[in-house]
Amino acid sequence: MVTESVNVQRDTSPPQRLDLTLVERRQAGRDYVRLVLDAPAAWESLPGQFLNVLCESDPRAAVGSERRTLALDEGGEWPLATGLELGRRKWPFVRRPLSVSRVLRSGVNVRLEMLVRQVGSGTRFLAARPPGTPIDVVGPLGNHFTLPGDDRLCILVGGGCGVAPIFGLADWLVERGRACVLIVGAPAFEELPVVFRETPPATGDAVAPCSGFADPDIDVETILSTDDGSAGFHGTAIEAVRRRLKDMGDDRPIALYGCGPERMMRALAHLAERRGAPCQVSLECFMGCGIGVCLSCARKMRDPASEKGWTYRLTCQDGPVVDTHDAVWE
Amino acid sequence: MSTPEIDLSVAVGRIAMKNPIATASGCAGYGEELARFYDPSILGAIVTKSITREAREGHPPPRLAEVRAGMLNAIGLANVGLEAFLNEKLPALAACDVPVIVNVAGSTREEYLEVCAALDATPGVAGIELNVSCPNVKEGGIEFGLDPNILSRLVQDVRAKVSRATLIVKLSPNITDIAVTARAAVDAGAEALSLINTLRGMAIDPWTGRPVLTNVIGGVSGPAIKPVALYMVRRVWEEVAGPREIPIIGLGGIQFAEDAVEFIRAGATAVAVGTANFVDQLAAPKLLEGLREALGRLGCSSPLQLVGAIVPC
Repeated sequence: MVTESVNVQRDTSPPQRLDLTLVERRQAGRDYVRLVLDAPAAWESLPGQFLNVLCESDPRAAVGSERRTLALDEGGEWPLATGLELGRRKWPFVRRPLSVSRVLRSGVNVRLEMLVRQVGSGTRFLAARPPGTPIDVVGPLGNHFTLPGDDRLCILVGGGCGVAPIFGLADWLVERGRACVLIVGAPAFEELPVVFRETPPATGDAVAPCSGFADPDIDVETILSTDDGSAGFHGTAIEAVRRRLKDMGDDRPIALYGCGPERMMRALAHLAERRGAPCQVSLECFMGCGIGVCLSCARKMRDPASEKGWTYRLTCQDGPVVDTHDAVWE
Repeated sequence: MSTPEIDLSVAVGRIAMKNPIATASGCAGYGEELARFYDPSILGAIVTKSITREAREGHPPPRLAEVRAGMLNAIGLANVGLEAFLNEKLPALAACDVPVIVNVAGSTREEYLEVCAALDATPGVAGIELNVSCPNVKEGGIEFGLDPNILSRLVQDVRAKVSRATLIVKLSPNITDIAVTARAAVDAGAEALSLINTLRGMAIDPWTGRPVLTNVIGGVSGPAIKPVALYMVRRVWEEVAGPREIPIIGLGGIQFAEDAVEFIRAGATAVAVGTANFVDQLAAPKLLEGLREALGRLGCSSPLQLVGAIVPC
């Protein structure tokens, strides 16, 4: 089941609510952790899809064995078997949508890697879960990146925690024999969600492939960029892309892929527009439900049929991956 | 101790529900979204997203924010519009073995009347829930929901157009005494009441100073509002619904089976689960199972035995 024809696209699993066991937790640079979850053998997801993850603020509430309901005579809560699992989950309230970063298969084992940036109460809680803990997820949700129509060079751009789906996309494209260049940007060296074997050199205004990734173990030409020049190219990831394209010459057709802050995605969209290159980006958005019910993750997308020329589409269902030519960039 | 045979069925107006658990408007879409997680026919009823005559895009995002123990939303009644609802959404929903209650919002009396008449003429619609309480859309009907005289006239006019479907009026909590509007609605012909809609609220980013929602004001939902909702159900039950034998669909922050029991004890015949669906897509089936267990524990054979039943202090 591991080998398959390059051109066959598997269908993805239907979204389900699952308790996936956290099997590994690794620090990934100063601000990030990588969580590895054990997934069912039948798991199928494609790069760009996400999990909607339940977070809790009370660490005691997360351990399965401690999720015991007290009997009435113990002075506890009403000992109903059902409905109570959420009883102590008071805050944060809604789930956190997080990309599946990589899908790792070995034999029948399927493991999902997630990259978590510790920003708020939910992600901090999640990042602190000890291995062995069940993580309550709904997924796989959303759409996914697609292959370019021909064998053009794929340039993958990830900014900050936006590199999460980009790593998995690189795996997927390489598996399908596509040529890729990966560009990973961050404000400064210590903010890169990567573990290095040795400190990568600062290369100023030159873009040079960086070797020495220890984690993730991705075997693709990778260029680092930092806004402050502390590692790799000195400048934004988009400037690094432009530089790489200039070095390469303009003749080779490319496909652009990206995930990162809105400003970066907008810049990538403009670059794609100017170059006439196809470009898909994964958008980040706060979500109430992740399944198309709450209608909160609305995003303006071009719609020639509408009077205004645009319409709202749901990031959770019609995204998170969008063609930049279809999106409205404000 | 032997478990008594439990019959969960209840009736709200002419709607026969297999059990008292419904999904709340705006929290179950058009049914198809939750159908990916469980069979909607296990529910007592499905209440749809608000339907307006024309399709609505909704407010510019951000439309939703997390607040302590709940959520704040200003979606802006985004919906596909009456025609698309009837043609594209309702058929699949009506094919499920579950009563469909369509929530209706409008900006004018004419709009309410037109949409309600069309729905009443559609066999797949078991009930019409008048949304006269959306807190975050100027034209979302709240001006119909706060003044008892205006509400009364609207309900009377709608009543004249609705003969087959059960007419439910959804009340706003953004009022001094909810019994006043409850009475107005019932006097004008409402066959059931649902309460409460969201409470008006806001959230501000302390560092940028910007309100979190583009619309500034939104509706608060989730466990944060449960005590308020419970009180209002009790108030309406004591003042209006109990004496007049008008069923109440109670909602507001219901998450657990115990919450459902509380609402039933306060006076609700049925309950609706809203925001909890977002956190746990299986909230409704879990509630259903938990309610059965709770009734068994209380030695009740039907939830109806508990309606309004609180013990004096």
